[in-house]
Amino acid sequence: MSTGAAPPPATGRGAAPPKRKGSRSAFVRTKVSFFERALSIGIVCLLAGIAVALWYAGHHFDPSIYSVTTADLESTRQAVAGKAGTLRVDASQTGDGASSAVLPSASTGPAAAQPDAGSEGSGDGTAAPATGAALKKEPLEIALPGIKPMGDTEFYSSDDLYQKIDGRSPAYQGFNFQELRCRTFSIDGDGSSYVDVYEYRMDTNVDAFGIFALERDPKGKPLPFAKDGYSGEMGYFFRQGDVYVQIIASDQNPKTMQMAQAIAENRAKVLPADDSGLEGRRALPSAGLVAGSITFTQDNAQGQDFLKNVFQGTYDFEGQKLSYFVMATTPDAASTAWKSYLAFCGKYGGKAAQAPDIAGAKVFQASNFGTYKVIYQRAGQLGGVVDATNAKAAADFVSQYLQGQIQ
Amino acid sequence: MSTPEEPAQNPEGVSRREFLLRTGAAGALIAGSAVAGVKLWQPNHFMPGFEAQKGMQLPDYRVHGAKGLPSLAIAHGATHDQTIRAAIGALGGMSRFIQKGDVVMIKPNVAFDRPPALCATTHPEALRTVAKMVLEAGASKVVIADNPINSPTGCFLKSGLRQVADDLDLTLLYPESESFAPLQLDGEILRNWTFFHEPFKKATKVIGVAPCKDHNLCRASMTTKNWYGLLGGRRNQFHQQIHSIVSDFALMMKPTLVVLDGMSVLMRNGPTGGRLSDVKPMGTVVAGTDMISVDSYGYQHLLERDIAELTYLHKADKRGLGNINWQQTVYKEVQA
Repeated sequence: MSTGAAPPPATGRGAAPPKRKGSRSAFVRTKVSFFERALSIGIVCLLAGIAVALWYAGHHFDPSIYSVTTADLESTRQAVAGKAGTLRVDASQTGDGASSAVLPSASTGPAAAQPDAGSEGSGDGTAAPATGAALKKEPLEIALPGIKPMGDTEFYSSDDLYQKIDGRSPAYQGFNFQELRCRTFSIDGDGSSYVDVYEYRMDTNVDAFGIFALERDPKGKPLPFAKDGYSGEMGYFFRQGDVYVQIIASDQNPKTMQMAQAIAENRAKVLPADDSGLEGRRALPSAGLVAGSITFTQDNAQGQDFLKNVFQGTYDFEGQKLSYFVMATTPDAASTAWKSYLAFCGKYGGKAAQAPDIAGAKVFQASNFGTYKVIYQRAGQLGGVVDATNAKAAADFVSQYLQGQIQ
Repeated sequence: MSTPEEPAQNPEGVSRREFLLRTGAAGALIAGSAVAGVKLWQPNHFMPGFEAQKGMQLPDYRVHGAKGLPSLAIAHGATHDQTIRAAIGALGGMSRFIQKGDVVMIKPNVAFDRPPALCATTHPEALRTVAKMVLEAGASKVVIADNPINSPTGCFLKSGLRQVADDLDLTLLYPESESFAPLQLDGEILRNWTFFHEPFKKATKVIGVAPCKDHNLCRASMTTKNWYGLLGGRRNQFHQQIHSIVSDFALMMKPTLVVLDGMSVLMRNGPTGGRLSDVKPMGTVVAGTDMISVDSYGYQHLLERDIAELTYLHKADKRGLGNINWQQTVYKEVQA
């Protein structure tokens, strides 16, 4: 219930404002200060500015806003370590900017504005061996006479590799791709010839070997300066440590190819040689190996979930072509896999039986769908011949290998 | 319960003039807000995947009224020039497609900065021959354009296509930020997306010239996949549904003519390749008005694979966007 009386009616201009107790509605402002006016104008201007900013932002679609930035997932790395291979990164990759890309302003611009090639490194074109981490964001400098960079070094991470190789990128990401560093070098005196240098750094040596093996040219010629490498008609391809290197010439001109070879030799010297993790690869014998036949399968080799990180090659043996594989792991894992393999081969109408041990190795022989297998396990190594059409040749090969007669 | 009080009154009162001024100011403010709202409203603004607004659509560039003439031609020969001329000749000649004064947009595949010998891009001699034939038929202007994700200038330079454009005085359009416009389509997945529209603004005819190559994701890149290069934005996100998006290109683009260069075919490690050993000489060019038929032939006889596995062609065929059974079309096979 109101306690105040009704205000008297206004009596006209100049009348004093009515004063009433207990009622704020009686207060009427007749003057607004300059400060208040300025403040209100400022607020209106601010609102207008916000409206313009919204209008501008709405007119300029930025797709990156909606893309996944893996750097933002950094805090989750520990939780998924060991579960998601694509997120495994060594300590050297946890630095800032690891997942960003530096795109060239003009990747194939004129060479004139570029510094002389070879401003770094020693006179013979080599430099101190770089670590995997050193590949990051360091310009790809090659100190060789007769070449000049055609543009800046380009860097691509897993996030933006597609920008360079588009639909081919999933093949590389399947082997835990980390970073691509690439640059084009023109051949002095011939403006139309150039050599592209690509250095794909993968997560591990095994990953690098995997993508190398996937793309291997079966007719490529082995390289004297890189164990896992070959030359083709227009380029050089090899694995060095965890880096898969591609040197691609623009043409087959002898001068261009000579320069491509010199660059390949340079990269083989500069990049650190490291075969750790490739024990399975080293366990494959060299005798009888069909050039370019080695493949690497990371998971589910031969359709078996217990066969991982498997190296396999084709061998000429006593007039037969034999497929021989090796998996290097722990003794327990190798033993378990051997038993699983034996059990599998006895299913679906197959016949499998354990054979006498050979040189400390457990061995079984099996026949499935008209082909033969001889599988052994010794310490942390599981291997054998698969898909052989001649059972005796398969058994002889494994026996001779285990006794050190095939190396 | 309280009793409503009388409203306060301005002891100074409001004159008629002041009342009209205030009312006018308020009205002007409201009207201004309405005008600003209309001006600021963006009918074409869209968010990919969430849009309801309309974008542009491409016209139909096909030439009709050629009954009896083949829709598909296969030519075998030794050089690009001879073989492409033979293929288009078997279709009735370039004059069937190009009239005097036409502005012709030719879309090569320039996705990578690879040398021509590796067959990851349209071969410069293929582009040169087609462009020459178009000019010979009386075209007033030939526009060349593609939207490589990686450095367009580098891709056109290293692929040798810039040299062709220079030699024949063709108009080479590089993608710029203002070259794109939203495309509206009722596709399986492609519904509203930013599109490299600039080359099409004045084009009266469109010809696709594509290499025949292996593709890591969708098995093969030929004349249908070639149109992928016209999309802007982060188009790699479509890689998850690559067969759907490629089949949508048969809806998006109704070209005047497509030419599939199978003189040398990238048989593996595509779409980039990198080794000559990945390339196989096939000495064949396929030209036609139905890109699905052209690609069907290319997949079976140039890439030498089973057509049953090429999902995007089957999708397009089922939607009536082309005929995967090229043998059922009117076709002609010739030797150059």
